[in-house]
Amino acid sequence: MSSAEQLHVVTSDEISPARIRLGRLMIWASAALLALVALAQVAQSTGRAEFGFTTWRPTLYAYCLWATALCWAQVVIRGERGKRTLFVLPAALFVVSLTVFPLLFGLVIAFSSWNLSNPAGRSFNGAANLVQMWNDPFYWNALGNMVWYVLAIVAEYAIAFSLALLLNAQIRARKFFRVAFLLPLMLSPVAVSWMIGKSMLEARFGPISRLARWLGVDNPAFFETAWMAKTTIMVMDAWTFIPFMMIMLLAGLQAIPKELTEAAKVDGARGWKAFWEVTFPLMLPVSVTAILIRIIFKLKLADVVINVTSGGPGGATDTVTSFIFREYRERSNVGYGTMLAMVYLVLIVIFMTVLMKWAARYARPRT
Amino acid sequence: MRLEHYNALMARMSRRRMLQGATALGALAALPTTARMAAAEAHGNLRAEILKIPGVGMGSPTDAHWQQVGELCLGATKANVAEGEFAGVELTFMGLNNQNLHNFLFRGFLAPWERYTGAKINWIDLAQADYNARLQQSIATGTVDFDILEMGAPFEGDTAGKGLLDEMPDWVAAQIDEGDLVGYLQPPVGTWDGKKYRVTIDGDCHTFAYRKDYFGEGGIGGAEVPKTWQEVNAVSKALVGQTDPLTGLPAHGYLDPLKGWGGFGFYFIANRATAYVKHPEDPAWLFDPDTMKPRVNNPGWVQAIQDVMDLVATPGAYPSDQINADPGTTAFSQFLAGTGSMLMWWGDVGSSARTSDTSVVGDVVGFGINPGSDRRYNSAAGAWEETANEAPLMAYIGWGVYVTSRVSGDEKKRKAAWSAAAHLGGKDLSLWTAAYPSGFQPYRNSHFQYDEWEAAGYDRDFVEDYLGSNADSYNHPNAAIEPRIPGIFQYYSVAEDELAKGFAGQYASAQETADAIAAAWERITDEIGRDSQIALYKASLGM
Repeated sequence: MSSAEQLHVVTSDEISPARIRLGRLMIWASAALLALVALAQVAQSTGRAEFGFTTWRPTLYAYCLWATALCWAQVVIRGERGKRTLFVLPAALFVVSLTVFPLLFGLVIAFSSWNLSNPAGRSFNGAANLVQMWNDPFYWNALGNMVWYVLAIVAEYAIAFSLALLLNAQIRARKFFRVAFLLPLMLSPVAVSWMIGKSMLEARFGPISRLARWLGVDNPAFFETAWMAKTTIMVMDAWTFIPFMMIMLLAGLQAIPKELTEAAKVDGARGWKAFWEVTFPLMLPVSVTAILIRIIFKLKLADVVINVTSGGPGGATDTVTSFIFREYRERSNVGYGTMLAMVYLVLIVIFMTVLMKWAARYARPRT
Repeated sequence: MRLEHYNALMARMSRRRMLQGATALGALAALPTTARMAAAEAHGNLRAEILKIPGVGMGSPTDAHWQQVGELCLGATKANVAEGEFAGVELTFMGLNNQNLHNFLFRGFLAPWERYTGAKINWIDLAQADYNARLQQSIATGTVDFDILEMGAPFEGDTAGKGLLDEMPDWVAAQIDEGDLVGYLQPPVGTWDGKKYRVTIDGDCHTFAYRKDYFGEGGIGGAEVPKTWQEVNAVSKALVGQTDPLTGLPAHGYLDPLKGWGGFGFYFIANRATAYVKHPEDPAWLFDPDTMKPRVNNPGWVQAIQDVMDLVATPGAYPSDQINADPGTTAFSQFLAGTGSMLMWWGDVGSSARTSDTSVVGDVVGFGINPGSDRRYNSAAGAWEETANEAPLMAYIGWGVYVTSRVSGDEKKRKAAWSAAAHLGGKDLSLWTAAYPSGFQPYRNSHFQYDEWEAAGYDRDFVEDYLGSNADSYNHPNAAIEPRIPGIFQYYSVAEDELAKGFAGQYASAQETADAIAAAWERITDEIGRDSQIALYKASLGM
């Protein structure tokens, strides 16, 4: 044992071989029980045997027993060091239960034909869902739309940065503006959909339409053509989430040491040059974080689209999530809907990994 | 009765009628329960009595009123069930809680039934939006945990088709006097493979609402109200550039919803199509029953889609941004607000026209049945026939009460469940639900005895106008009834997506749009299982 580890030992453990055997027995016995119960339930659900189970709770209880025994056995076997493990192990088991297991079950469903209306229930169908996805113009259309939606973040970032600079400057009523600019973020996207998308932008009575008519637009319609609809959705989503980027960037701006900006001033950097050569490079790590988080939010965009356009006109505003929602909820197509979600998850993981690698390489503050 | 209808009808009440109702209620309330029942039944005047609870114009009924009605209508139950016969029986009832109606009323109606029979009912209340998912998941995961179920007929395929329902005993059919149901609710609706499963408690149909100030002598829409879809389209095109006589804004004709509505939007293209494709000699109009081959891309359906595309291509025929108008928008944001002159919708539009604060068309709205066509497509012959055709669409068919097969093995429990269902679908009790806010429309021939409504205090002209269009649609010999097969709303939902693309110009033609819908429907049929769908479709048609 290293001296560093010894520093944290408050009692000396002298663990007997019998105690270690007991600990191992606890783990293996509970694991065997879990395996036995799970196998029995699988056998019953596949019709191979009948044990009188009515729900899957026995397996859940056996899992809980095994998890408890595993944690307990750490202390029994390893004493004080085992107690340290207990700080992490329950949390790790909890995460495994709530993410890894469902993910595995999700994969099983994704490779199944499971329309809730099918009297035969779920059946394994190999890669058929993938083939269907490959030939599904609605999915590709939604993915294409997502590219545009994500690209809009560039403009959102520029606006958010401008607002953050403004709020960081010595302006009047700065505190008021900080709160006021944050308000859209506090609104539920569903409320935004109805209040703005369905009411204020309503073609005939909406106040914004009236204003547009007063300004000379003949028939103002914000969702009639594909690009107009897409743009309006982008603007509504941006309006909600720009404050989120803005507040992150503002925090970053306030963390820049005063000495640096003052030194730059002394060296003659002013206005655009001071921003581009000093502030912007210093803000790159914060910017990248803000943009990455915003991209994750954006990739989940659905509520505004579902409520305002249902993906229309003709799929112009559809997002992957809103399409999956229709496929899953309205068409009870659980297998295909899950496959679409899984593929989207993989795409997001790949995209975000590449983006983060790229960001780590190029977004270091310039020196 | 839908809440909106009630408000509309109440708005037509006179003060004298209201006082009459109040007096009657006071007298009724002063009597002890048994005396009230005895009085009502002894005088053979039960229907008139229940219509006075709480009395038209006396505000919305409460639980106390529902219980009163339930108690007064217990006569039929007492004829079939002895007092305390179901002691110890517990039943679970799954239904809706829309607008605090549905299950809330059932609780009140069934409270005296519980007291009399000794049974106890537990309740599962669901919002409309959660209903389909809850039902489908219960079925798919084998966790049906309810004995009595409030359900729309389109789901009979998902339940009766899978053996989840209990067959209705003959005494129930007699107790509810099922011969009194309007034409389209007679079998095969409510039956599978010749067996009965449904106690009907509601009716549904789409009717034609139009602006009377557009039509008639000197009207900008012409002297006559359009009777066919050809005329509807001609008028819609001719109105371009004219001014609405009521609002002074641009005039418009028929309001097609061009955006989906969770599957319900499909009913509106179907309104146009049934006139072309619902042949009087053929009950099927969406699929070929022998193969489940979709008919949605036959020339009749294509004509319906083309009609809409023609108006989309006519600048000014629709209000601006119509591509984003779902059925709710066309009815409540457009028609009632004075935009457009013709609309298809369920019953509520007419009554809302007179009561809604945002409505400006209250005094100029008229009703009729679904427009017809100068010609019809004969699917069997594969050719058009130059014969006029009419086919009102019974959109959604209406709610019913069903008993699940959970009770089939326990005769006492089974009888209790059916007795509760029969009580809710009783002839007299249904008159009350037709006349007061309940979430249900009239659905029996006896609901259209206008004298009863007039005696209860309703305005006869309005009731005849409003209910008449419903009655004419219900009893039409060529009414179009949708297939009660599993997953029917999946077909509607995917069709909405393809139609949206077609209306947005992403397909080259109406035919291409229809072909895309047909291809998607074929895929759904294969997913659900073609053979079982064919068998269930035939069963639903009574073939």
